[in-house]
Amino acid sequence: MLSDIVAQYTQDSTSYHGDLAFSSSNAWQGDVAKQFGQLSFDLPNTGNPAEFLHQYTDVKSDHDALIKLAHGTTTLAFKYADGVVIATDSRATQGSVIASQSVKKIIEINPYLLGTMAGGAADCAFWERELGRRCRLYELRNKERISVAAASKLLGNMVYSYKGMGLSMGTMVSGWDKTGPNLYYVDNDGTRLKGNLFSVGSGSPFAYGVLDRGYDHELQKEDALELGKRSIYHATHRDAFSGGYVRLFHMNEDGWEFISLTDMDDLHWKYTGDAAVTAS
Amino acid sequence: MAARVELETTGFDFGLTRRNAALESKGTTAPKATKTGTTIVGLIFKDGVVLGADTRATEGPIVADKNCEKIHYIAPNMYCCGAGTAADTEFTTNMISSQMELHSLSTGRETRVVTAMTMLKQYLFRYQGHISAALVLGGYDVTGPHLYTIYPHGSTDKLPFVTMGSGSLAAMAIFESRWRKDMERQDAIDLVKDAIEAGIFNDLGSGSNVDVCVIEKGHVDYLRNYARPNERALKEQSYTFARGTTAVLKSSVRHLVQVTDEDAMDTTL
Amino acid sequence: MDFAALAPSANSVMPSVHPTSQAKEAAFSPYEDHGGTNLAIAGADFCVIASDTRQSNGYHINTRFAPKTFKLTDKTVLTTAGCQPDCNMVATRVRQHIEWYKYTHNRSISTAAIAQMLSIMLYQKRFFPYYDFNILGGLDEEGRGAVYSYDSIGSMERVPCQCCGSASALIQPFLDNQVRNKNQKGKEEVTAFDPVAKLSLETTLKIVKDAFTSATERDIYTGDSLQIFIVTRDGVEEQRYPLKRD
Repeated sequence: MLSDIVAQYTQDSTSYHGDLAFSSSNAWQGDVAKQFGQLSFDLPNTGNPAEFLHQYTDVKSDHDALIKLAHGTTTLAFKYADGVVIATDSRATQGSVIASQSVKKIIEINPYLLGTMAGGAADCAFWERELGRRCRLYELRNKERISVAAASKLLGNMVYSYKGMGLSMGTMVSGWDKTGPNLYYVDNDGTRLKGNLFSVGSGSPFAYGVLDRGYDHELQKEDALELGKRSIYHATHRDAFSGGYVRLFHMNEDGWEFISLTDMDDLHWKYTGDAAVTAS
Repeated sequence: MAARVELETTGFDFGLTRRNAALESKGTTAPKATKTGTTIVGLIFKDGVVLGADTRATEGPIVADKNCEKIHYIAPNMYCCGAGTAADTEFTTNMISSQMELHSLSTGRETRVVTAMTMLKQYLFRYQGHISAALVLGGYDVTGPHLYTIYPHGSTDKLPFVTMGSGSLAAMAIFESRWRKDMERQDAIDLVKDAIEAGIFNDLGSGSNVDVCVIEKGHVDYLRNYARPNERALKEQSYTFARGTTAVLKSSVRHLVQVTDEDAMDTTL
Repeated sequence: MDFAALAPSANSVMPSVHPTSQAKEAAFSPYEDHGGTNLAIAGADFCVIASDTRQSNGYHINTRFAPKTFKLTDKTVLTTAGCQPDCNMVATRVRQHIEWYKYTHNRSISTAAIAQMLSIMLYQKRFFPYYDFNILGGLDEEGRGAVYSYDSIGSMERVPCQCCGSASALIQPFLDNQVRNKNQKGKEEVTAFDPVAKLSLETTLKIVKDAFTSATERDIYTGDSLQIFIVTRDGVEEQRYPLKRD
């Protein structure tokens, strides 16, 4: 019975040629949810779809394009003795406009897996949602949770099959599995790296500066969280494409834990030590 | 002793042209000039010339000035409507106006429209269209009423009714259907007003009000905002802020002058 | 006649690339900007969605009345700006899927479900995006106002208020200040994480009208007339007001 349900929502869609059909002409029938479960993307009717996309959208966010996509910016995650600290800013920019100051750049894939968002907001949100669906199917099939290594590889393989098409995604997949806390970096080129400390996005050089200065594997949880928060704050202070709020998560043995959401303005006055403003 | 180079004091400075071109080829965008995406018109009636213009100036999609003046003074008997880059039309007409004044002083006669037209076209031709000024020149001199259009590259037309700018087609549609030879003064003004309004409403580069200038023998009527068909609607509510809305980070008072009790202006002390 | 004989042979001294000898792909430019501005504000028990009706191309007005806000259900309204055919296609397809949802599940679709569906539909065109900026407004399952804002490929977020389109850079700061009380000391700020604004329907409508009359003054692509959709428990009410036509 359960396997029937699983089969209903399953199909191999990591292959490039099989899926990129012109689907808008296909009249779907039946269950709408099922239809959206089947990945298929419309393509422009040109010789080189990737070039077309590059011409009209700001895939690399550095030229004046007609269609401006929302971009994400400073994210970081590091592994230490007690687990993983994950911290992000919350700003999205479309060209030079701040599209949002309240983006959720930490994506809860499931209760023990987190993904972060840098690059195209829609790309990260969509593929990590799809990853969540596949992780759930894995659980139903195998009666056990997927490892972080396997989950990150699923994501990596999915975006790798669209390599060169113009996807934009720099994400860190973190979680706690049988082997303990784990952290992987995955991006749209198909790069997949295991590591202890990553920062992704235009503000990452600033975040790395603070992070490397204060990082220690034996950090206390409280200090580790403060380090993550401070690193994001300093990145947003120097990088115009980062800002808004610091969103802080921690990965424990029993899954992720939401720690805090802090207004960058409050942090600024806290770190610069100007008590006069908060007092008045 | 090192050679010293005199600074060029007249004409345009092309010093940065090549640098700017190189920058633009690398993707830098040059600052936008204010354009008067415009409707300007002129016609000849029984006793003289009527010029008309809208009053919108734009910077890309944004209205930069809602009530600018596009009918420029050239001489007491001559006015000129400008379309194109605002600065170009302004400076070109200003300069020609100065030269016309000098010309009139040196000859001791009232200047002729054809003189201004020739000077404008020669000036614009010299810069090969890089001075973005499209003009409608109208005036009344010893030879009667004259109306010219001058294009940015220096070509000219002499016609009984003309339109220029982005709204020129809308305005010309009105002229083509309703212009008659030897119109009465009020009919001519009304026709010009309708032509400009056609531009105001149908061309996004034109808007706001209608300026009209009537030039007759020995007499000019500059009818600024002759028609105001686009008054702003009243706002629904007031947006004044209560005192203290802006957060104060810190305050300090500095005494720049010493205030004394004595009268500083009192010289008897 | 022997056409083959006329064709240049391999060793003839023809220029190797003759302008007409090579097949060349014509420039494929399927996008056009038709201007226009939309906004939506979520209230405690209502949602206001508004847009102007001018459709333009360059300096030319295509039409003074081209509605680009679409009532989807009794509690959801979609508003779109950008390229008109793309906007229309998005609205048509969303409506089609709402129908199918009704037939499959025998109940009407919630605003949240439409919001997620629209996100996926936009992402389906990731490699050939709709040139279309959407805002979805309506009531959520608790009866509160709900506004979802999107980028053109489906990045979605629920916000208290949002403006998109040609005058968005003029109106959005005004909404941040007046609806969310941003940068106003002494007033309680509505953060981006609060689902709704703390405004009465009456005040909201005043702000919407002032936003549009002011944007019409300065944005050449906004004007002609204003369509306001008010979503309440009783359904969707439409109001129309004239805007300046210059």
